[in-house]
Amino acid sequence: MTVSGKMERRLEISGTFIILGLLVEAICLLWSRPIAFVVFACLGGLLIGVGVLLFLYSLVTLDQSPNEPL
Amino acid sequence: MPTIPIVVLVLFNAVLAGVLVLRPAITGRLEGKILAFSVLFFLPLFCLLVGMDNEMERSKSTAFCLSCHIMEPYGKSLHVDDPTYLAAAHYQNHRVPADEACYTCHTNYAMFGTFKAKLGGLRHLYVYYLGTQPRPEDIKLHEPFNNRECLHCHLGARSFEEGATHNADPATLPAIKANTLSCVSSGCHDVVHNVGHLDKVKLWKEAAQ
Repeated sequence: MTVSGKMERRLEISGTFIILGLLVEAICLLWSRPIAFVVFACLGGLLIGVGVLLFLYSLVTLDQSPNEPL
Repeated sequence: MPTIPIVVLVLFNAVLAGVLVLRPAITGRLEGKILAFSVLFFLPLFCLLVGMDNEMERSKSTAFCLSCHIMEPYGKSLHVDDPTYLAAAHYQNHRVPADEACYTCHTNYAMFGTFKAKLGGLRHLYVYYLGTQPRPEDIKLHEPFNNRECLHCHLGARSFEEGATHNADPATLPAIKANTLSCVSSGCHDVVHNVGHLDKVKLWKEAAQ
């Protein structure tokens, strides 16, 4: 797999984690129950955290030329 | 920040992230790189922060605490038509904000008090969903009520400092301030919620509305 292909794959994975985390966040914000607070902080925070960290990890580990996709 | 704009921002972020997931090749251009950084780093963390702040604020509300049915008698005790009921007297006379009544008295006014109060709340959730729920009248505080929480508002107030009962014995006031004599000790303000006796008391008219 090329560097750009690998990067695109990682973008897809980190993006998917972040989308799932954001959807969990949105549901919890609209669901005013104590359990929503825990789901927001634990599940939503975890999914977003994993997605962001994977994105940052991809930026610093994949060697690429300036014109290639991120 | 109100909830709806945060939800809109979160969904907007999710849609943009979806565009990147479906078409990752757009990050080949500078605009795509900026978009990726915004959508996969800056915006999600911003959403998480404002969302967390919103959740923390909401968790202070009286309605939030009373949304667990085990707490219903405690909510009812705020409407008792009897000034000797400490919680009711504070709630009905707005000595505590009515929409944050539970939090105002039951938080911890020391450093990281809100954080500790939320950790205590997690223990409540554990018992509520996974443990054996006690009867409302059997619920006890994790630790004796600290006078610090009362003195946060009452310290320096004329009614507290110059009150006849507080000054009847010169040792009383220093003992209260040193937390060696509890405000809710027997013979003082010891009728707080008394949820075991709510069927025998009259409720304030607002509760009936």
